[in-house]
Amino acid sequence: MSLMGKYSFISSALTLISILGSVLAHSDDSLQTSQKDNRPNILLVVADDLGYSDLGSYGGEIKTPVLDQLAQEGIRYTDFYVSPTCSVTRSMLLSGTDNHVAGLGNMGELNAPNQVGKPGYEGVLNKRVASVASLLRDNGYNTYMTGKWHLGLKPDQIPHARGFDRDFSLLVGGGSHFDDQWNIEWQIPKAPYTEDGLTLEKLPEDFYSTKNFTDKTIQFIEEGRKDGKPFFAYMAYTAPHGPLHVPDDWLRRYKNRYDEGWDGIRNQRLIRMQELGIIDKEANAADRLWFLPRSTSLTPALRVMLGRKMELYASMVEYMDDQVGRVFDYLRMIGEYDNTIIIFMSDNGAEGNDLRGMVAGRVGSLGFLHAMNNFAENSHNSLGRKGTYAEYGPAWAQVSMTPFRLYKGLVAEGGIRSPLIVSGPGVKGAGELNKEAVLHVMDIAPTLLELAGVEPPATYKGSEIAPMQGKSWVDMLEGNTPSPRTQNDWLGWELFGNRAIRQGEWKITWHYKPFGTQGWQLFNLANDPGEQYDLSDKFPEKKKSLIVLWDDYKKKNGVVMGDRSPFEGANKALPDLVTESDNYPPVRGVEAIPYEKFLKLLGQ
Amino acid sequence: MYTRNMQSRLLVNLVSLAMFLSFSGAVLAVDDGARAYWKGRDGTQVVSFQYLNLNMQATDSQQFDPGHYIYPNSDTEANIFIMNWARHMTLLNRPSSLSLNLAGGSVDIDVNTSSAPPQFLPSGVGAGGSFRQSSSGYADPSAQLDVNLFGTSPLKSGVDLLNYEPTWTLDAAVMLAVPIGEYDDDKVVNMGLNRWYGRVALPMKYHFGVFSPGYMSSFELTPSVWLFAENDDFVGQKLENDPLFQLEAHLTNDFTPNFFGSLDLLYRSGFQSKFNGVEVGDKLDIGDFGFTLNYQVTDNITFRTSYTSNVFGDSDLDSSLIRMQVVYGWNQASENLKKLRQGH
Repeated sequence: MSLMGKYSFISSALTLISILGSVLAHSDDSLQTSQKDNRPNILLVVADDLGYSDLGSYGGEIKTPVLDQLAQEGIRYTDFYVSPTCSVTRSMLLSGTDNHVAGLGNMGELNAPNQVGKPGYEGVLNKRVASVASLLRDNGYNTYMTGKWHLGLKPDQIPHARGFDRDFSLLVGGGSHFDDQWNIEWQIPKAPYTEDGLTLEKLPEDFYSTKNFTDKTIQFIEEGRKDGKPFFAYMAYTAPHGPLHVPDDWLRRYKNRYDEGWDGIRNQRLIRMQELGIIDKEANAADRLWFLPRSTSLTPALRVMLGRKMELYASMVEYMDDQVGRVFDYLRMIGEYDNTIIIFMSDNGAEGNDLRGMVAGRVGSLGFLHAMNNFAENSHNSLGRKGTYAEYGPAWAQVSMTPFRLYKGLVAEGGIRSPLIVSGPGVKGAGELNKEAVLHVMDIAPTLLELAGVEPPATYKGSEIAPMQGKSWVDMLEGNTPSPRTQNDWLGWELFGNRAIRQGEWKITWHYKPFGTQGWQLFNLANDPGEQYDLSDKFPEKKKSLIVLWDDYKKKNGVVMGDRSPFEGANKALPDLVTESDNYPPVRGVEAIPYEKFLKLLGQ
Repeated sequence: MYTRNMQSRLLVNLVSLAMFLSFSGAVLAVDDGARAYWKGRDGTQVVSFQYLNLNMQATDSQQFDPGHYIYPNSDTEANIFIMNWARHMTLLNRPSSLSLNLAGGSVDIDVNTSSAPPQFLPSGVGAGGSFRQSSSGYADPSAQLDVNLFGTSPLKSGVDLLNYEPTWTLDAAVMLAVPIGEYDDDKVVNMGLNRWYGRVALPMKYHFGVFSPGYMSSFELTPSVWLFAENDDFVGQKLENDPLFQLEAHLTNDFTPNFFGSLDLLYRSGFQSKFNGVEVGDKLDIGDFGFTLNYQVTDNITFRTSYTSNVFGDSDLDSSLIRMQVVYGWNQASENLKKLRQGH
């Protein structure tokens, strides 16, 4: 057992002993507590940059037995949408309204010059919205948060100020998962953590994000349960966000599992997803991205080196699954599991961008100095340990987002589709897969309020607040309707200038080149979830009608199109988009569905 | 928010595979050295050149070093050059290495004969006097085969090397010296030993820390036994020796990716001499302690130096050994990769 593993074991054992002692002590207290509030507890688990197909119950080969079991107890949804990036999603998750209203019209770090100072572009969860935590707390819930916040750094912006009774939070977007605490943003070299609203000077020496966030969640629930109130626990893991860091004991859990390369793994996922019914057999999956080589064209050694990064990612995911299991075990031990609504989701598509390159900057920059000081060590066997910065790149990200196109940061399905599992009291249809519902992260806040019997208010603390745009799922969870949305309802996205509208099975996207055409493209998601065929010419009226909805979306939410975008230069950094050539054949090893055949599938 | 073509960075990483991991081979008169049994990629070849300077003052009868007798009340200085060639390979599907040693140089000895057994004195030299002898030329060449028994998979390719993260390892090594070195039966000191001899060793090591340049550490232990045939013409008589038991230990640690150091221990016991079937002198009991510094200058070239001194065991021996070594290693696949990168 490594040193870190030993500390983790001791720490876990002490936590368990502490809880057992507390449980025994509380057995007497239970007679003295006020009458128990029988409303359901809420456990909201959010993974960071987890891909759509990573969980076993979504077709992934990564071992996730705890979440797979949760899927058997609850319902999986195939069409759940989030934003292309994390803080943006989190603003909608907690506010129940669009990110351009809630303050994250753009990521705070990446506001364009013309967006700075505009309403909705504060870069923090603004005061035009009340967080669902505040509303639940005000209505008799104990509210806890552990993990990533990324919605503001100032005292009136942090979790403690936005509705959480207790918190153990990473305030920024990411950084080391260990106690060295370096921040992903060089401008604030040391990642700020708070506990119960107070800044932590340092983290415990054996700190590992996923484990400690889990410990604190259990601790908060345990310490708060004397008062008989239900709890709302928001467990916002920072895994598997880069840097890919793994506890020593878990580093080689997937050793050589990914040596065959991304194409083979993606094929296997596609087959399993079809078997599970996640995607239809006829559905057109995305080709391998045009700038990625066929994995079988790489030397075995290079495949091992690239596979190592996916190994680390998989280990992080399995470790997270294991830690979620600890919380479930604890809830079972205290008899609260069956009265807890559990929601599991990811915050955006898997990370395929070179975030490390962005953080480290160019030689001579402060970002580069930051990298030199904190994560310079990146040899093959060091990766995943403290002081390293590995990320798995666009090829593995596309595997994580099977069968979709592209990844985090973009409004293609690969950037905005997330797994979603909901389980708990009142959720009908254990083990079912819901493919009809079109859901959005904005729906979660109104859903939680309805479950708690709380009416969304029009004002908060004397000020008018923006109405929630999300739709409650309660009717759907109770089995009364397959979806909270009709075919006429629509959803919209805009981030970094990339934009999209989905209505029913149709979707339009506008992406900067070379990810798109810098013009609107029309896709039919029912047959083409991989967004391979632009149907603009075949269905011009449909496209036009969706563009009208975009205009409506933009106006309604106060979207300010940025005069700068981090994607502007992408067409210079990447080769031109080509769909196929001798060197870049389709990912599945077979021809993509021919266009004419595809049109027949559409009934054209 | 951008995506970079990864291949350029990865190619750089691949080149780091060009490193050769070790050299190996027992060398007459000194220990194997730190990290001698670390494994290299199949096909990796290593040539090393060593210079040894040994100074020894003995106040009582002793033997040191396989095959050599140490005269009491003597001063010895040896200057030895050793060339070693080793090749890493796969034998019986186990990582292995074959090494050849060729040594040469000179030994000078000044002896006060008052305490020396008369059998060990050259003709014409009586007790109570003194004599001085020198010898120079080639020593007996030797060959060693080392085979890993446990803890390391064959390292046939870059993939194997990437997956190489050893913890416990155990090898078996057999060395044999051929008695063709310089030998003069009139002299008591020779570069060759005029007899067959060899060694069986069980090198074992435990790797701790991250197995990555700059972070590697190891504890290495090599118990071995030296066996000697008789020398039937030692100043005209028959010399036999009991086996010599040897325990060699190293505690090594990387200071930087290119620089490691080691604390070295060498203990030897046994080697009782028999002259015409009669025991002469004491058996050996010598413990040396020292250190090694090793710096890899380029992918191919390494410099190493070490110092050891007798610190325990028999108290009447004062010896010191300074070693300087340059190692050149190459692997054809890695060399080809470098050529490609350089545009050849």
